[in-house]
Amino acid sequence: MRLLLVEDNARLASLIREGLDRQGFAVDWCETVDGAEHALKINEYDLLLLDLGLPDGEGLDLVRGLRRRQDMMPILVLTARGGLDDRVTGLDAGADDYLVKPFQIPELAARCRALLRRPGASLGTELTVGNVILHSAERSIAVAGLPVEATPREVDLLECLLRRAGHVVAKPALEGALYSMDAEVTPNALEACISRLRKRLSAAGANVQIRTVHGVGYALFAPVTTHG
Amino acid sequence: MDRAGNSKRGPTGPTLFRQIATRLAAFTLLFALLDVGIVVFTYSNQPESLAQELLTLEAEMAERSTTLAPDLLAGPPGAEHWAARYIEPNAHAPITEASRTGAPAGLLMDWTRRERIVGGYRISGVRSVVQDGQQRWLFMQFEGDGIRPYVPVIANEIVQHVILPLIPLSLILLLFNIFAVRRVLQPLRRAEAEVDALDPVNVLLRLSEAPAPREVNTLVRAVNRALTRLDETMIILRGFTANAAHELRTPLSIMQLSLDRLPPSPLREDLQADTQHLTRLVSQMLDLAQADALAVEPGTTVDLADIGREIVAAMAPKVFDAQRDLRFNAVGDTRALGHAEAIYRIYRNLIDNALAHAPGDTPIEVTAGPGPQISVRDHGPGISHEDVPHIFERFWRKDRRKTDGAGLGLGIVQRLAQAHGGAITVENAQDGGALFRVTFAAP
Repeated sequence: MRLLLVEDNARLASLIREGLDRQGFAVDWCETVDGAEHALKINEYDLLLLDLGLPDGEGLDLVRGLRRRQDMMPILVLTARGGLDDRVTGLDAGADDYLVKPFQIPELAARCRALLRRPGASLGTELTVGNVILHSAERSIAVAGLPVEATPREVDLLECLLRRAGHVVAKPALEGALYSMDAEVTPNALEACISRLRKRLSAAGANVQIRTVHGVGYALFAPVTTHG
Repeated sequence: MDRAGNSKRGPTGPTLFRQIATRLAAFTLLFALLDVGIVVFTYSNQPESLAQELLTLEAEMAERSTTLAPDLLAGPPGAEHWAARYIEPNAHAPITEASRTGAPAGLLMDWTRRERIVGGYRISGVRSVVQDGQQRWLFMQFEGDGIRPYVPVIANEIVQHVILPLIPLSLILLLFNIFAVRRVLQPLRRAEAEVDALDPVNVLLRLSEAPAPREVNTLVRAVNRALTRLDETMIILRGFTANAAHELRTPLSIMQLSLDRLPPSPLREDLQADTQHLTRLVSQMLDLAQADALAVEPGTTVDLADIGREIVAAMAPKVFDAQRDLRFNAVGDTRALGHAEAIYRIYRNLIDNALAHAPGDTPIEVTAGPGPQISVRDHGPGISHEDVPHIFERFWRKDRRKTDGAGLGLGIVQRLAQAHGGAITVENAQDGGALFRVTFAAP
């Protein structure tokens, strides 16, 4: 995974690079909007990490420019601005996520992974969380290296949850995935499907957990690991 | 923030209408007195015409009192030797006919004569009166001194030429003024209503200038200029907090990430905890400064349930990580007027507060609605009666050693709620636990 970090504070940039490096990301760094434009022209990046206040311009202008050019590269804004309107302004400009400084490296890495798992992002055709692997091309699931039987609907549901692992996926989004398969979905079809999926995963010895967030949706959590 | 104390109708001066009416009455009176003065002055310079008017007035009185012989009438006040009688056209007037010139003999006409005598004057004359359709001639004569005999004449003149015309004129003027003042004050009343509508919620509102008299518009423009200045200070404050945020957060990030690179040791853990505490304090103080400078754009409708789902989704991983449960529930219509990010922070701070104060295994219940309100309920020990007045105070903590917060979270919530024109209340739920409720304006 190759990331481009645009950050004008050299010390902070080197700390972020080192931290993400240990999490398995390759990070290029530049200090200015111009530098970023140049780097984006000559290299392919999977994700852009962008500070907002840069010496030669506004980070958000870079976001707008990319989106105008139909470049759908995931963008994570890293900012020291935590004003009431800043988050919305950042997301409206076309950023995919917004993280206010100071942050911990594991948090940043988790957000990066979540963005990279999004449909269309370049994490490849395999979605892996814990010992669960979903092959998105073959529509199959494996737990601890062994294939697990699942209906197409369950695979779809698991894909949704895996792509947003560690985050809550709202019910309407999950229902949308079910409806696209089958028009006849009963009101508690989602609950029933989640419950079957849970049973299958735990029977196969999966170390991920699907939690219910009452009134909101579901979230799939990776097994607790300690990051350095 | 105590706006309830200033009632809308305070002790005010007299209304403009009353002032105008009082002044108009005073001017009328002054004008009447002036008029009377002029009348008196004019006549006192013309004793001849006064005498003429006096006899005419006496004759009119005699004409009305047909039953009484004219001799028995009182005559002018203070008059001496009053004499009056009807005379024949060809009869000789006893005293004065000889002195008259120019009148044909045998024909009488109205005449008046005023002559000086010792100690005053003597007035005599003839007036034609009509009684029972028959013309008769009345001869009158009296002696008098000074102005006193003329009082009835002057009074009559005042009534005829001052009071009778002035009273209706004043009434008409007064009515006209009521109408005019009402009309002129209309824009002032509108401006008053607009100023009343100015809330902390609505600092972006300005008074409308539209078709108002120049004097009212001058005031309206002055108020608008003051509002603009207020707005500018808000913008400066917001700019300052944004810059302060930037300047503080970057070194904090460097500190945190640098500490993570140190080899594990008890000292590192302490420093990490201190840095986190400092980070939390800084971000809460910045949040509070932002809350103080918050201007809610009027008329922005948000769905409290949507914001609630968003914050619960965002916080659930952290809450689950701490082996806690967070639940969300939406009831009925949950639309409200407000600032989405500010409401997001209200939820966040209330949930943080519940996480800090309720025991580890109890769920936190977040509810939007029914109507424009949200609530966050925990199953902790609740809030003791004597603490309720303090929990919204800035930097207040129940036990400074136990909690690691800055004591600003609920203060921020209260300020954000106030900026919405809303309110925050806290109560202990019947089956235990604290229940915080924030109400907003309905769209």
